[in-house]
Amino acid sequence: MNNSDSNTGMTRRKFITVAGGVAGLAALGSMGIYSGWGKNETELNTEEMMNEEHSSDVLVIGSGMAGLFAAVKAHDAGSKVIMVSKGRLGSSGQTPFAKGIFAYDSKTSEVNLDEFVAQVSRSALGTNNPVYTRQMAEHSLARVNELKEWGFFDSVLYNKPFCKPMAQRNIPVVERIMITNLVKENGRIAGAAGFSLDEETIHLFKAKSVILCTGAGGFKPNGFPICDLTHDGTIMAYQIGAKVTGKEWNDGHPGKAKNPAACFDGWGNMFERKPELTSVEIHHDLGVDMNYLAYMKGNPFKMGPPGSEENINISGGPCRPAEFSRNGHAGEPPKPPKGKRPPKKGGTPPGMGGNSVGGSSAGMAIHKSEGLVPINDKCESNIPGLYAAGDALGSYMAGAIYTQVGSSLAGSAVQGGIAGEAAAEYCKTVEMQTILPVKMNEIQEEILAPLKRESGYSPAWVTQTLQGIMIPNFILYIKKEKLMQAALAYIEELRDHHMPMLRAADMHELRLAHETRNMIISAEMKLKASIMRKESRCSHYRLDYPEMDNENWQAWINIFKGDDGEMKLEKQAFGSWPV
Amino acid sequence: MSIEKINGCIGCGTCVKTCPTDVIRLDPKSGKAIIKYPADCQICHLCRMYCPVDAITISPEKSIRVIVSWG
Repeated sequence: MNNSDSNTGMTRRKFITVAGGVAGLAALGSMGIYSGWGKNETELNTEEMMNEEHSSDVLVIGSGMAGLFAAVKAHDAGSKVIMVSKGRLGSSGQTPFAKGIFAYDSKTSEVNLDEFVAQVSRSALGTNNPVYTRQMAEHSLARVNELKEWGFFDSVLYNKPFCKPMAQRNIPVVERIMITNLVKENGRIAGAAGFSLDEETIHLFKAKSVILCTGAGGFKPNGFPICDLTHDGTIMAYQIGAKVTGKEWNDGHPGKAKNPAACFDGWGNMFERKPELTSVEIHHDLGVDMNYLAYMKGNPFKMGPPGSEENINISGGPCRPAEFSRNGHAGEPPKPPKGKRPPKKGGTPPGMGGNSVGGSSAGMAIHKSEGLVPINDKCESNIPGLYAAGDALGSYMAGAIYTQVGSSLAGSAVQGGIAGEAAAEYCKTVEMQTILPVKMNEIQEEILAPLKRESGYSPAWVTQTLQGIMIPNFILYIKKEKLMQAALAYIEELRDHHMPMLRAADMHELRLAHETRNMIISAEMKLKASIMRKESRCSHYRLDYPEMDNENWQAWINIFKGDDGEMKLEKQAFGSWPV
Repeated sequence: MSIEKINGCIGCGTCVKTCPTDVIRLDPKSGKAIIKYPADCQICHLCRMYCPVDAITISPEKSIRVIVSWG
C-alpha cells in the first residue's frame, strides 16, 4: 500500500520522514492500522522556494469588475499600479457569470435619484447604506459607457474587453498568484504576499496602498460558480486589524435538484449570453423565503412562480415589505423597463424550472453586504492605505437583501473606480515602507507551513467536514440558538485542531489549504454574528426570534480581532460610519 | 464526471489560466492539457468556452468524494 521508492530513490525529505517515523509505523502496524494515512506525499522541496519582489504605488488584488476599474482609475489618477489575481483577468470570481449591469440614466429614468435611493432603503428595511446606494446609481452610467468602449457588451467572455484598457495603459497583471497575507508596518499598509500556483515561488508585493477586489466567498458550495471565492481578502484584512461586517446575511440562490453541482446547466445556458443593461427595477429577493418553505414542507420542492398557491398557506417565515410583495404590489410598483416584457404570471424565471434545492451559494451573503467596513464613502477601511471595492467591501450598497436588479456588477465597477482614485490620492501623501526581512520570513513560514507538514489533514477533507457543519438548512438559513452554538463548537474544533494541521502536497493543494483556513474563520464569523443578531430581517432569519426588532437592531454587526487576538463583535448604528 | 475529456488540444494553455478553480494543467511531457484536479471542478464551462479549438467536453454530473473517518 505504501508508495514505492524503488525507481529513482528517495528525496531527502522522504528519507527523513521514513527514518524518523520507523518506531511510529511499527507501532501502528502492530495495531493493524494502515500506516500511510495522513502522510504528506509532497514532492516539493520547500527549502528551495524562490522569491520574487514587486513594487507599485497601488496594488490591486483581484481581477473581476471591481479590480478592473480600481486598476484603471488608480492609474489614470497618476499611480503606478500592479494587479495580482488568483485566476485570470475577467475570468475569475463571479464577474464572468454576471450578465446584467444596471445603468441609471437621469435623462430617461422615470424615478428620480432620491426616490430610487428611498425605494431601495424601503426594500432593504434600513439595512442599506444610502450613501453607497446613491453613489452606485450616480456613477453607473459613466462606468457602463466606458465598458461599452472596451467592447464589453459585444462579448460573452470578458477577458478580451478587460485586457483592452489594461493594455492601453501598460498596467501589469500578474495572474495565478494567491495572496494570503497583507503586510502592515507602522500602523498602515505596506504590501501583500502570496504564492504562485505554477512555480515554487513566494511573491512579495510592496505597495503604498492596497485595494482588495477579492470578491466575497462561500463554502465551495455546489451549483454556484463561487468555488474560487473563499473570503480571502476579508480574512487577510481581519488578520491585520481591519473591521469586517455583514456575516449574518445570506444569499438564498437555489440550485437544481438534478445535477446540483452543474453551475452552467443550472443557469440554463445564461453563461453563454452577452451582458445586457438593466434599468430601475427594485426587488426584495434572494433571501431565505424558499429555505423557510423547504424547512416547513420538505425538500426538494417544485419552485413555484411568484405568488403561486404552492408558496402560500405557510404561516410565519421571513418578513417581506408589502410594497415588494411578489403577489401583487401595494403602493407604487416599479414599472417594467422599456422594451422588456414583464415577468409572465405563472412562469418561472429563466433557467429556474424543475425541482430546486437550497444551499447552492452557501457561505455567501447578499452582494455588497459583507466584507470590510468602510469608514467613509471612499471605500477606505480602518487600516490606513487599505481599500476594498465590490463584494470585498461591506458597503451595504444594496442592503441585506437583493434590491436593484443588475446593481451588483454596476456597484463593483463604480466602487472599483472610487477606490482606485482614493488610493491614488492617498499614495501622494505617503512614502513606500520598508518591510524587514524578519517579517517576510515569518510570513513565508506561515504560507509554506502546510507544505512542510509531514502529516496532517487534507484541505479537501476539512472543507467537506466544514460543509457538513455549515450548509444544512437548519444551521445557515433557518437559524436557532441551540443549533448555531452546536455548530460553533464544531467550527472551533476545526479552527483549533485542524486548521493548524492542514497539509499540502503541491501548490494546488497549498491554495486549497489557505482557502480552507479562510472558510473556517468565515464560518466562525457567520455563526457568531448570527447568534448575536437576535431578530429576523432581510436575509437573516431566526426561528427563535422571527420578528424584526427595531428597538435594538437598527444596526450592523462589525467583527474585528481584539488586542488579545480573540474575535470581537460590535454594533454600528444604521446610517452611521465607524467611530 | 465534470470535465469528461480534452480531445484535440493544441497546448495553448488558455484553459489552464481560465479555470477559476485550477483544475487543468499542461502535462509537462506532452505539453497538452490534462484534467489534473477533477474534484475541484465547479462545472462552470469557462474552459470550454475559452478553448480556441473546442477540445473540451463537459458533463453535468459530478460524483462526491468518498467520506472517510479521518483526514
